[in-house]
Amino acid sequence: MKKYFLSLVFLFAALAIAKANDPAYENAMKKQLQAMKSIQSAEESQNVSNAFLRIAEAKNEEWLPLYYAAYLQTMAAFRFEVNKDQYFDQAMELTKKAEKISPNNSEIIALQGFIVMGKLAVDPMNRGQEMSPQAMQLFGKAIALDKENPRATTLMAQMQLGTAQFFGQGPEQACGLARVGLELYAKEESKVNESYLLPTWGKNQAQQVLNACK
Amino acid sequence: MKPILVLFLLPLLFSVEAFSQTKVSGRVLDEKNQPLPGVNVFLKNTFDGGSTDKEGNFSFETGESGPQVIAFSMMGFKTQEMAINLSGASLEIPVITLKEEYNELNTVTISAGAMEASDEKKSVILRPLDIVTTPSAVGDIVGAFQTLPGTSTVGNDGRLFVRGGDASEVGIYIDGMRVGNAYGTTAGNVPTRTRFNPNLFKGTFFSTGGYSAEFGQALSSALALNTKDLAKRSQGDLSIMSIGGGYSHTLANEKRSLTASANYFNLAPYQDLIKQEIDFEHAPNGWDLELAAQMKTGENGLMKVMARTESGGMKLWSPLPGTEKRVLVSLKNDYSYAQANWRTSLKKSWTLFTGVSISKNLDELGYDSLQIERKSDLIHFKISAIKDFSDRFSAKFGGEHFIHLYSEELIRQAWIRDFKDKESYLFSEWDYYFSKAFVIRGGIRAGSSQIAEQLWVDPRVSLAYQLPKQGQLSLAAGRFHQLPLDNFRVLNTDLKNSESQHLILNYLLSTDGITFRAEAFYKSYAQLVTFEGSLENPMALKNEGEGFAKGLDFFFRDRQTLKNTDYWVTYSFVDSKRQFNQYQTKVQPSFAPKHNLSVVVKRFIVPLKSQLGASFAYNNGYPFTDPNLDSSEMNSKTKSFQNLSLSWSYLPKPNLIIHLVCTNVLGRDNVFGYTFSPKANTEGIFESIPQGQVAPRFLFLGIFFTLSKDKNANQLNNL
Repeated sequence: MKKYFLSLVFLFAALAIAKANDPAYENAMKKQLQAMKSIQSAEESQNVSNAFLRIAEAKNEEWLPLYYAAYLQTMAAFRFEVNKDQYFDQAMELTKKAEKISPNNSEIIALQGFIVMGKLAVDPMNRGQEMSPQAMQLFGKAIALDKENPRATTLMAQMQLGTAQFFGQGPEQACGLARVGLELYAKEESKVNESYLLPTWGKNQAQQVLNACK
Repeated sequence: MKPILVLFLLPLLFSVEAFSQTKVSGRVLDEKNQPLPGVNVFLKNTFDGGSTDKEGNFSFETGESGPQVIAFSMMGFKTQEMAINLSGASLEIPVITLKEEYNELNTVTISAGAMEASDEKKSVILRPLDIVTTPSAVGDIVGAFQTLPGTSTVGNDGRLFVRGGDASEVGIYIDGMRVGNAYGTTAGNVPTRTRFNPNLFKGTFFSTGGYSAEFGQALSSALALNTKDLAKRSQGDLSIMSIGGGYSHTLANEKRSLTASANYFNLAPYQDLIKQEIDFEHAPNGWDLELAAQMKTGENGLMKVMARTESGGMKLWSPLPGTEKRVLVSLKNDYSYAQANWRTSLKKSWTLFTGVSISKNLDELGYDSLQIERKSDLIHFKISAIKDFSDRFSAKFGGEHFIHLYSEELIRQAWIRDFKDKESYLFSEWDYYFSKAFVIRGGIRAGSSQIAEQLWVDPRVSLAYQLPKQGQLSLAAGRFHQLPLDNFRVLNTDLKNSESQHLILNYLLSTDGITFRAEAFYKSYAQLVTFEGSLENPMALKNEGEGFAKGLDFFFRDRQTLKNTDYWVTYSFVDSKRQFNQYQTKVQPSFAPKHNLSVVVKRFIVPLKSQLGASFAYNNGYPFTDPNLDSSEMNSKTKSFQNLSLSWSYLPKPNLIIHLVCTNVLGRDNVFGYTFSPKANTEGIFESIPQGQVAPRFLFLGIFFTLSKDKNANQLNNL
């Protein structure tokens, strides 16, 4: 009897592990990544962002859920009528948490640069001097950490385009970077499969920069 | 039990999980019983949960059962947790109220007397960039503050005069450490400037009264400058100016940064081109070297070190009223300032700050054949700690010790007089939020001076209340002590503190892009220094003067209404009378004009890649004593002071700025007072010479070039 009991305990334990292990996490992530694509309002964005935060809470060794929660807060600030500074600040706070789990992560640092870029856009006259070097530096660091990261390259291109336009200079440098960005996106797409959870966003932004090159 | 039974049970286990779903629902409200949307509601250690909708309602399904913990979390609110037992098909959670966390953004801040220049704060009075882009300031920190309420411009002095107080009544601090001789030494009627480059600082805190118990030895005002944190990148900055040039180099990584700079200026070439009202034998000139380093320590610590040394001087001919004679006035100044400070957070919500600073000043003055050497050293030690008991309640404790040396010597006669004082202070300050809309701060500062043989205690209190609809009211009151000027104390070391009491009522309205501020104040003065004789030769010094200052000031800033345009208007009214220095009666001090107006406008013109700036300052005249009128003191007033300054900053490339400033464009012949001859001439008239400007206008042209890997860097902060 005792033997059977033990095997039962073992079985439960195995079940518990299976539950806490990747499939459940992966499924939960995939479900939210799917939900992310159809966001149309700040409220929907908050719901998906909350779902990522729940995953982050339960799987506190994973940086991706925090990353996506931060990304959603950032995009909500860009897209919807919200208190932009507050959203950007929250997003930054979340990336800092993600950074603690995964230091020197090119994706997290590129997103931080994107957030700084957003904050800069709220009040360019007063924040430009302080924040444009800050954003540039973060993109530079993100590229240095992972030359294959298309988002780091694309965001850098976007930033350079903005500066070039302001000073009435040609967009050549930005265009070159955006082209590299697009190539990197193509590379990335070849890797994407059913169980791919890593960030893939930003291709449109590279395309937008290139549109300014004609 | 047979193994086969286990296999049989296995699918059953899964099915239990699949079918025993429980629907959890409820509602979340805020403290005002309003629905709270976007709250994350979840079962801890599971992926199950949901968010509240616009009505604050939530509902989600879970396959979990038995005892669980449900959590309610939202950024800016305190997370709540609750133990629940999941069984049956549904579970209704009673209404949950989430409490907002108290933070800088959602709580009222005390604004009485206080003006912050920061990029981070919500109410915008002045931004760090404004200091360098205000035309009349020409890059001087104090020049920019002279456009703020509660200050008056004294054009032949250049220092900061606050609400009827003289310039010594403003205490200047860098990172909380006192700066001795913060202004350059000057002679004649040549206005001085702050020694420190605005580029060093990330923010400033300027108080026109009722300030924190952390500061003392300033009857009127505290100006706290906060140096930059870690530099973001390595770069070199080159400046070529009509009056000199300089180079600054920064090395930075993620843990440490270091900036070294050297500057040289000489007004001689400029003065050869443009005629000056003052006859300079040697135009003002000088050099400085500066080093600033920042280093991260541990998780939250930051250590800063700064050192600066400079030397400068001038020689000029000063006319004497009633004669054709002139005397040669010469000045040489050597100055060094160094400080180190370390701030770190400790366990249990403690934050610790320690610092030490040294200021060393040496003036060699020549007046005709008289040679005077003046030495002044100030050493400051400080330690303070902040404890956050909760997000509503915090306390600060600190101690300071000063070693203060002063000496003056008549070189030829070999006459020396000096004093050495040791001053010690203890302070504590307590902040308590009754609600997000109501805060009270109580502070106490105790001090002692060895040679004045005096112990004193200053209580301070301030509070702020957020009005229900818009705006906020603040009140500040307190007592302040300040030891007399060094050159008085050295004549009579028994001199005690002068004392002032402040009462300030403030209204502040700040919305996106618009700030309105109104403030009324009353300030009393007691135990001011009085003496017989003249300011140049005081005798029989006593602490017997007294007086008051009262007034109103208004500030309006709008960055929103006009596109790419930012402007602010300031009006300050000061009614001040005091018996002090040589005055036998209560008089309006020469540095306290009654009506003061200032307007600053800046506009960025995108196609021209330029920022144009204009500033206008006005006051209704400086009182002076005219012995030809009658025998009463301060019986006359100069004509009004007016100054219109224009600036043009051109950014042709991201790393290049060309900056042109012209002060007093209209060339108004401003007069700040008169020097009368001590004796009447043969017709019985005291002849006089007006104390005017160095030149009708000052023209400044600067080219600033930044070298770095990042081609978009520029030194707008350096202008």
